[in-house]
Amino acid sequence: MNYKKNIQPNIFPINKLSLTEPVLTNLNNGVPVYQIESGSEDIVRLEFAFRAGQIKENIPLLASTTNSMLTEGSANYTSEELNHILDFYGAFVNPYYDKDHASVVFFILNKHLEKILELSREILFAPIFPENELNALMKNRFQWYMVNREKVNNRANDLFFESAFGKNHPYGRQVTEDDFKNITQNSIIDFHKNYYSHNNMAVIISGKIPGITISLLNRFFGETFTESRVEDHPDNTITDQDNQKLHIKKKGSIQTAIRIGSTTINKRNPDYTGLKVLDSLLGGYFGSRLMKNIREEKGYTYGINSCISSLDLSGYKLISTEVSRKNVRHTIEEIYREISNLQKIPVEKGELTVVKNYMLGEMLRMFDGPFALADSFKAVWEYGLDNNYYRRLAEKIRTIDQDEIILLAKKYYNIDELHEITYG
Amino acid sequence: MVKFERCSLNNGLRIIVHEDRSTPLVAMNILYNVGSRDEDPEMTGLAHLFEHLMFGGSKNIPDFDTPLLMVGGENNAFTNNDITNYYLTIPSVNIETGFWLESDRMFELDFSQKNLDIQRKVVSEEFNQRYLNQPYGDAMLILRALAYNVHPYRWPAIGRDVNHILKVNLRNIKDFFFSHYSPDNAILSLTGNISADKAFRLSEKWFGPIEKRNVKKRILPAEPKQMHERKLIVEKDVPSSALYKAWHIGPRESPDFHTFDLITDLLAGGDSGRLYNTLVREKKLFSEINAYITSDIDPGLVILSGKLMNNVNIKEAEKEVDNVITGLLEKQGILKEMEKVKNKYEASAVFSNTNILNKAMTLAYCELLGDAELINREIESYKAVTHEMVVDSVSNSLIHSNCSTLYYNSKRKDV
Repeated sequence: MNYKKNIQPNIFPINKLSLTEPVLTNLNNGVPVYQIESGSEDIVRLEFAFRAGQIKENIPLLASTTNSMLTEGSANYTSEELNHILDFYGAFVNPYYDKDHASVVFFILNKHLEKILELSREILFAPIFPENELNALMKNRFQWYMVNREKVNNRANDLFFESAFGKNHPYGRQVTEDDFKNITQNSIIDFHKNYYSHNNMAVIISGKIPGITISLLNRFFGETFTESRVEDHPDNTITDQDNQKLHIKKKGSIQTAIRIGSTTINKRNPDYTGLKVLDSLLGGYFGSRLMKNIREEKGYTYGINSCISSLDLSGYKLISTEVSRKNVRHTIEEIYREISNLQKIPVEKGELTVVKNYMLGEMLRMFDGPFALADSFKAVWEYGLDNNYYRRLAEKIRTIDQDEIILLAKKYYNIDELHEITYG
Repeated sequence: MVKFERCSLNNGLRIIVHEDRSTPLVAMNILYNVGSRDEDPEMTGLAHLFEHLMFGGSKNIPDFDTPLLMVGGENNAFTNNDITNYYLTIPSVNIETGFWLESDRMFELDFSQKNLDIQRKVVSEEFNQRYLNQPYGDAMLILRALAYNVHPYRWPAIGRDVNHILKVNLRNIKDFFFSHYSPDNAILSLTGNISADKAFRLSEKWFGPIEKRNVKKRILPAEPKQMHERKLIVEKDVPSSALYKAWHIGPRESPDFHTFDLITDLLAGGDSGRLYNTLVREKKLFSEINAYITSDIDPGLVILSGKLMNNVNIKEAEKEVDNVITGLLEKQGILKEMEKVKNKYEASAVFSNTNILNKAMTLAYCELLGDAELINREIESYKAVTHEMVVDSVSNSLIHSNCSTLYYNSKRKDV
C-alpha cells in the first residue's frame, strides 16, 4: 500500500469560477430579457420578475394574495383550465413573492415553449381575479395562517421582523386575523395594475434556450406596453422597536425558538462580502462555531444557524435555533460569547482556511446548472448589481485575514443593538 | 436518457458512474441497505441515530467534516424505513478526499461514548422539533401504528418513542455497524465531472481492501392482510381538525406500484388534481388535501391527508373523499387526465435529471431495487398504466376494509 489511511489525499486549489454575464436583449417595448445559456436537457427556466413585493402594499397580504391569484383565472381561461393545461404540458409554475419582489417562474419543456408563453401572458397580463376564487383563497389562507401561528419558529421569526423593522414598516408589519377581511377584489385589481406592468418587469431565462425564444417573447410580451407610475408610500422609514428583548411563553410547548439579530447593510455595501465570511464562521455552515458549540458539544439543538440577508432598503443578520426550555438561557449566553470571541480573539489560520475553502466550493455549487445560475444572477440583479459582485466575493474570500474579521465583528455585531426574541 | 457504467469489487461493493462534464463538481452517493425496518421494536430510531454517529469520526480520521470542507465539499444524509443514504458534492479536482473519507467510515467507525452521548441529545431535540412540537407533527406516528400491526413500518425512521433513542449504548452501536455496514450491503454512485475509469480505479484503491462482513439475510414479519376497516379518533390542541387515511398496497416491485403512483397523481398531482378541484376549490370542505404513495420496498401505503375548513363535519368530508376516489372508476373524461399526469411525470424526470446529486441518488436507489437502468425505464411502466388497471387497483385496494382512518380532531370549541 503506497498511501496512508490517516493522511488526506492531496488537496488541490478549487477551480476558478468561470462566470459569464447573461446576454441582455430588449423586447420591442423595452422590457429587458436576460438569457443564460446552460445545460444539456431541452428545458428552460423562465422567470417574470416584478417589483411587486410586500414593500409596495399599503395593507398586509395584498402583495402575496395578488401573486397567488394570478393563476386563478384569466380573460380566456378559468382557473381549472389554466392549471389543467399547464399540467398537461408538463410545465411547473411557481408564483413567488418576498419582501421586495414578486415573480412567476415557469419550468418548461422546450417543445411546449410557445403554448406555455401564451398561457403565461394570460396569467401575468389578463388575470380577472374572480371574486369566488378570491373568497375561497382567503378562507384557505386564513386556515394556513392559524396553523402556522402554532409553530414556534414562525412566530419567533415574525416577532423578530417586527422588533427589528418596526410595527408599521412593510418589512416588520404583522398579519392579524382582521387583515384577511380587508382584501377585496378591487384592491387586488389595483395592485396588479400598478405593479405588474411592462415598465416594472424583467425576464430571466436559463437553460438550453431555443433560438426562437426572443421572437416568441416579442409576440406575447413585446407589442403592448403598460406603464404605472406609483409613488412609494411615504411611511417607509425603518424604525426598530425600543424594547429589544421579547420573551413569550407558549403553553404546552416542548421547545423554545430563539432569534437574535438586527438590521444591517446589504449587498450594495462594499463590506458585505467580508461580512459573509464572518457570518459563515459564526453560524453559516455545518462546521460553524455555533453548530460546534450548541449542537456538537452541548447537544442542545438539532440545528443552529446564522445568516445575513439583503433587502432593497436594508438588510439583516439573524441567528436562529430551537432548544428545550431549560437550555434557553445558557444557549443565549453562549451565542453572545461566540460573537464577543470573534470581536476579541483572532481567528486561527486553520479555521479560516476551512471556511474559505468551504465557501469557494459553495460558489461552484451556486453556479452549477441552469436553475442555480438563474437564482444567483437574480440575487444580484435585484440590487442593481451584476456578476462582478461574485467576483468580488470570491476575491474577498481568498484575501480576508484575521484582522479584518475582528474589525468587521466589532463594526457590525454590536451586542447591545441586537434584538433578542424567544417564543415557546 | 441517463448513461452509466457499472462494476463490482471483489468485496461485493457495487459502483455506478454517470459522467457529466458540464459541471465542475462530482456528486458521490453511498446507499446502505439498512433502515428503520431493520430495528428491534424495543429500540426504534437506532438506524437514524446511527446515521448521526457516522459524522463523528472513523478509525483513521478523527473528524469527518473538516477535511471535506477543506476541499470545498459539502455533505448530508438521510434515513428512511428502507435505507440510509449518505451524499456529498465536491469539486472534481478533490474527489479523492471523498473516497478517503467514505471508505474509512465504511471500514470502521470511531465508536466514541462522548459522540454517542451528544448525538442522543441532538436526535431527541430533532424528535421534539420535527414531530412533537409541530401542530399535527405526530399524525404519521399515529397513522403508521394504526395501519401496521406487525411489520416494522409501524414506526417511522425517527422511532416510535424518544426514550428508545436515549437508552442506546455503545454495544448496540457496534453491533448495528458490524451487522449492516458492509461493502456487499452498499451501493456507491458517482455522477458529474469524473470518468468511469477513474471512479473504478479510486474505488478499488480505497474500498477494495475492506472485507465483507456477515450481513444476515433480512427476515421481517409480513403484515397480515387487513380484513376490517380501522378507525381512531384523537383530540388535540390544533387550530382545525384533520383527516388521515391509509390503504395497504403491494411492495415496490409489484406490478401495480406504478398504477398507484398514477392514481395518487390523478387525485393530488399539482393544482389540477381531483381532490383539490372538488374538495378544496369546489366544495370548500378542506383548506388543503394531499395523497401519495409511501414508495416503500416492502408492502407500503397510499396515504391521504387533509385539513378541514372550520365548521365542516369530518364524517361528511370523509364521504366526499370516498366519492372522489370512486369517481376514478368512471371512464368519462379520465383518459385525458391520465395523459396529463403521464406528461407531468415525464417532465419531472427531465427536470430532476438536470441535477447531478439527484441523478446519483436515483441511480443508487434503482440499483438497490434491482437495476440502475430503472432510472430510464420507470417512465415506460408509468406510461403503460391503463384505465382498466386503475379500476382494478381502486376497487381491490382503495376500499374500506383495507383502510385505516384517523380523525385528528381539534379540541378548540369554535371549530
